[in-house]
Amino acid sequence: MNKITIGIPKALLYYKYKDLWINFLEELGCEVIVSPNTNKQILEDGVKFSMDEACLAMKIYLGHIYYLIDKCDYILVPRIKCIKKHEKLCTNFSALYDLVNNVFDKNLIHYNLDVEHKEDELYAFTTMGLTLGFPYRKIVRAYQNAKEKEKFLKERRISKQKSLLASSNKIKILLAGHPYNLYDEFIGKQIEKILEENHIDIIYSDQYDDKYLETEVKEISPKNYWTYNKEIIASIVHYQDVVDGIILMTSFPCGPDSLSNEMIIRNVKIPITNLIIDEGDANTGLLTRIESFIDILEERRKAR
Amino acid sequence: MNAYLGIDIGSISTKGVIIDEENHILASSYLWTKGNPIEAVKQLIKELKKQVCTKNLSIIGVGTTGSARKLIGTMLNANIIKNEITAHAVGTLSLYPDVKTIFEIGGQDSKIILIENGIVVDYAMNTLCAAGTGAFLSSQATRLGVPVEEFGKIALTSKNPTKIAARCTVFAESDLVHKAQMGYQKADIIAGLCKSVVANYLNNVGKGKKIKAPIIFQGGVSKNIGVKKAFEEEVGCEVIVDQNGHLMGALGIAILSKKAPIKTNFQFSITEDQFETRGIECNRCSNHCEIICVSKNKKLIDAWGNRCSNGDIMSKQR
Repeated sequence: MNKITIGIPKALLYYKYKDLWINFLEELGCEVIVSPNTNKQILEDGVKFSMDEACLAMKIYLGHIYYLIDKCDYILVPRIKCIKKHEKLCTNFSALYDLVNNVFDKNLIHYNLDVEHKEDELYAFTTMGLTLGFPYRKIVRAYQNAKEKEKFLKERRISKQKSLLASSNKIKILLAGHPYNLYDEFIGKQIEKILEENHIDIIYSDQYDDKYLETEVKEISPKNYWTYNKEIIASIVHYQDVVDGIILMTSFPCGPDSLSNEMIIRNVKIPITNLIIDEGDANTGLLTRIESFIDILEERRKAR
Repeated sequence: MNAYLGIDIGSISTKGVIIDEENHILASSYLWTKGNPIEAVKQLIKELKKQVCTKNLSIIGVGTTGSARKLIGTMLNANIIKNEITAHAVGTLSLYPDVKTIFEIGGQDSKIILIENGIVVDYAMNTLCAAGTGAFLSSQATRLGVPVEEFGKIALTSKNPTKIAARCTVFAESDLVHKAQMGYQKADIIAGLCKSVVANYLNNVGKGKKIKAPIIFQGGVSKNIGVKKAFEEEVGCEVIVDQNGHLMGALGIAILSKKAPIKTNFQFSITEDQFETRGIECNRCSNHCEIICVSKNKKLIDAWGNRCSNGDIMSKQR
């Protein structure tokens, strides 16, 4: 029997769940195809298939789906409504599956998560595995192994960041934002490139140990119910004493970020700047903003 | 005598100064960019040369800032290329050491710079919207049939400025047309427009910033006395407009080029050289980057715009 091939778009929640999804599917014996880094073609395709008002990250996602069509048996599209009780995610994440299904009408594989309706992670993986025709016990084992691997990789990344914080004397900037913004070739990577050219150490907000999330988030925002934004806020609280400044990254026009960013900007104790990225190609404004922000951080260091 | 050249190439205007070791301005010039930064800079250098030809200067530092800073920096072999926020702050601080806030409204963008103890601590720039900048004012001036230079003076004659929607240029424009059709006086509308520029600036760029005196207002729009007055009414204290306010970016970058560790050798004869830019689309990957090549006397001197190393034309040449 040929291996089942599953395509995963390298956008949105890929950056959050890649270790879990890929390891799970490979453990089951599927072949996983990940779409390449966002490029201009993918972005243009995405814009073509999206409505105007969708956020940049969402447009990019549809471009990745378009890339994967006819390159695999199934495309994995999550439908994530709630991952923590009494908390919310952007509605895009719960609409994603149906949206993609409507636009492209191809073979999709779902990953449904809604803990408020008893659909937890194990449930999501079991239904995914059963749809693909694997036996229950094999699925559970694959999930457990993938989970362990994910934990290991996460800890390794966090400790790598910790040692960077301890070892280097260069100016450090916390890049804060959703992982799908931080690591996307067209969003975060162009900022990363400018920072690297200016010899800045970059700390990422998602490389964060969420053990004390609930207490840390309250320092800035006591009553927040956006799960992903809470992670960003807690990470900012966690790192703000050890970095020189914060770059808050948003893809235009993000709903939850527009609320949460205001709260962050008003409450952090160190220099912060908010960069909003849209589908335009000109990065002159971006360059000016980042360069002058670095100048501010350098002057502050000299003055100390 | 050693001297330093600073050039600030904005979207609308190009500014240049030559300073000596004590930051005194020896020559200065200001002209329109007219969408052609290379020609504008050549013209600017000719003007500057006229002003200093009697002095025996050797220019050992060249700095460029403004939106065409990279292009012109390459062309003039500048020893420093820096963003306009830092340049404006440095220039302004050299004349007003205790300034705390700088308002800047230029042709296409507006900025606020906050300074504490002589260093920049915060800044903001207009984001996705160009409402309330110089370009908006001049297009509205044309609509009203008034030269934009007269705007300020006319605004001052108004006793009862008309309220004009400030949040968005598109709404402001339709509101303005509506008010004119309703029969409001031109002077009142113009004064209202100045007020709306200020309201827009303070609500967008200045949002959430602690604005402290002394405040300096610069950029092309600062020449509009109506906007200056509207600012003073809004923030409740004096807003200083320096006579040389438009030169602050150029002055700042000249000072920074003086401080830069590496020096350069600049000759006025550069205006004789042929500079050309060419945009080519790189087809080596699916990004299709547009790469800008700059050549001097038909010889390629720099190229940029590539996202990946496939389009790195310069290193392939070497």
